[in-house]
Amino acid sequence: MPGAPTESTPARRARPVPIRPDWVSKTLAGVLLGLSLALTCSGLLAALLIGMPVPVSGQLAMWLVPPVWLGVLSFVYFFSSGLRAWLWLGGVNVLALGIWWLVRPGGVA
Amino acid sequence: MRADFIRIYKSVHTWTGIVSGMALFIAFYAGALTVFKEPIRDWATPPAAILQPVPMDEVQSLIVQTLANTPATGRGAVVRLQGDQAVPRLEWTVRDPNADDHDDSAARHYEARLDAAGKVQVSEQQPSRLVEFIDVLHRVVGLPVDSDPNRWVMGVISALYFVALVSGVVVLLPSLVKDFLAFRVGRNLKRMWLDAHNVVGIVSLPFHIVMALSAVVFAFHDQIYAVQDQLVHEGRWAQAFAGPRGNPAEAPARNPAEMLTPTKLVRIAEVASPGFEPSGLQYSRVTGPRPTVRVWGKHPEGISPRALGGFAEIDPYSGELLSADYLSGAQSTPNLIISSFFALHMASFGGLAVLWLYFLLGLAGAWLFYGGNLLWVETRRKAQRRGADMPVQRRDTAIMAAATVGVCLGCMAGISLTMAAAKWLPGRVDDLAAWHVGIYYGVFFASVGWAFCRGAARAAVSLLWLTAACTAAIPLSSLLGWLAPGSGSWADGALLGVDLTALAGALALVWMARATARRVRNGPQDSVWSVRRREVAAT
Repeated sequence: MPGAPTESTPARRARPVPIRPDWVSKTLAGVLLGLSLALTCSGLLAALLIGMPVPVSGQLAMWLVPPVWLGVLSFVYFFSSGLRAWLWLGGVNVLALGIWWLVRPGGVA
Repeated sequence: MRADFIRIYKSVHTWTGIVSGMALFIAFYAGALTVFKEPIRDWATPPAAILQPVPMDEVQSLIVQTLANTPATGRGAVVRLQGDQAVPRLEWTVRDPNADDHDDSAARHYEARLDAAGKVQVSEQQPSRLVEFIDVLHRVVGLPVDSDPNRWVMGVISALYFVALVSGVVVLLPSLVKDFLAFRVGRNLKRMWLDAHNVVGIVSLPFHIVMALSAVVFAFHDQIYAVQDQLVHEGRWAQAFAGPRGNPAEAPARNPAEMLTPTKLVRIAEVASPGFEPSGLQYSRVTGPRPTVRVWGKHPEGISPRALGGFAEIDPYSGELLSADYLSGAQSTPNLIISSFFALHMASFGGLAVLWLYFLLGLAGAWLFYGGNLLWVETRRKAQRRGADMPVQRRDTAIMAAATVGVCLGCMAGISLTMAAAKWLPGRVDDLAAWHVGIYYGVFFASVGWAFCRGAARAAVSLLWLTAACTAAIPLSSLLGWLAPGSGSWADGALLGVDLTALAGALALVWMARATARRVRNGPQDSVWSVRRREVAAT
């Protein structure tokens, strides 16, 4: 989330910092970044199954989207704050997109 | 796990559950009945509409004559098979071209039969669509039509349901070892309901995860495919499903009389998948450039990609097996994996035992959501209790309790009554389908209205009696048909299971009605489930 204040690192205190619910930002991170991650994962799977007929690999890739998407959405509330959710999930998205860029059919590799 | 997480996930569970609970109740109750769609369809079919099957190849003349003269058979004309015999009737539907992809409510239904002179007679039918209506209720959480927007509503509900499942498990995990199978019967009724909610939820968790994820897929697959075709497949997905290439006008005109006979077509499927049990033939575009016939059926040891089974796609002229992608018992591993997602939702594997298992899991699921709403209400009552005076209860708990009772019992009573009506409507009304829909929604909305007028406690007892009566009307209608054949109703000994199941359901509902009546009279007065509080307040 650009513009949000950087969080002070909770350097080993006696009591852990309470987990911030951050309902709106965590939920948005789960819905939006979860969906983009799910679509990227489906792209990775499709690249992996390139030898298969498209009607088959396409169906498998489609079925992968809801579990990844809703899995991310379900576990997003474990992040200690909405900002961290956005940063981590954004990072994972960039990483997954990077791998897909490398392995996509007709891509670099 | 840190208490913070438990608290956060408890809120997630509460809100996702309360928003999706009643819609899911309808989806699961109607879905449990949809497991037995075909037996209920047969149960609701008047004896006059049942034709004696004939040896399979005797229907070839009907098929050939009809298909040669009827170009518009929609998605294909179907002949039902029974063992090595066939029902001498060809059926097809023509859909409204403007209707939604999954919406059959405006489709027109036709059937062709041979008259005594061997001439084809085509007639438009007014099927009752009873089981299709119950199926649609389950597909779109109680809405009347399976259209795109309604399916998106269902998709959002299913997504919330998945999050509710995960969050429920997270909340329960720290105490799972202690609480699992701990069923504390006692004075603390809320504890007992929570224990039961937990044990049912955990035991049927795999079933629920499958249902939630597959329901999201069924709702949003078109949209996901469209996005993936743009981003991932670069247009190859749409291409793979494009229509036949080439100019249809140039293709040779095919004469259906040259098609292989049903016995030969069935034999091709049986050779491709030994043990396959054919149940129907579906002819599509047999005079066009890409003629196909699908031999539908099930493999007793295989899984079926659809509720009706799977199919071999065959060229009816050359006998070439065009596709075994959906042929139960002969699928490639990737196709088997895809089919298993469908089979796990639709119980199309493992035979009768799995059907009953899914029926019971579906009812248990409906109970899970009903119980979840009750727990929501009870939790908010506890927080309000202090001192000796009767506390003023929150309005939202009274509203939620009334809505839960009205929606859930209204759905059950409505489905029961519209089912029972299947034995009385034929021959008395013209538009059977509209009557079934009207009866269901009439009972449903009346029940919801009654629950809000009378309050949850009073309405619960009367609505349980209503539901019991409506459900008892199912076997009673058959009984009357058996005792008095002139009444218009009828009984079929082979489908006694439908009547007996309804009877068992009616008895269970009577038991619930009596238990609830005791509770509202003698239970704690500060509860929304007490009628005494109102009386005290009134005096």
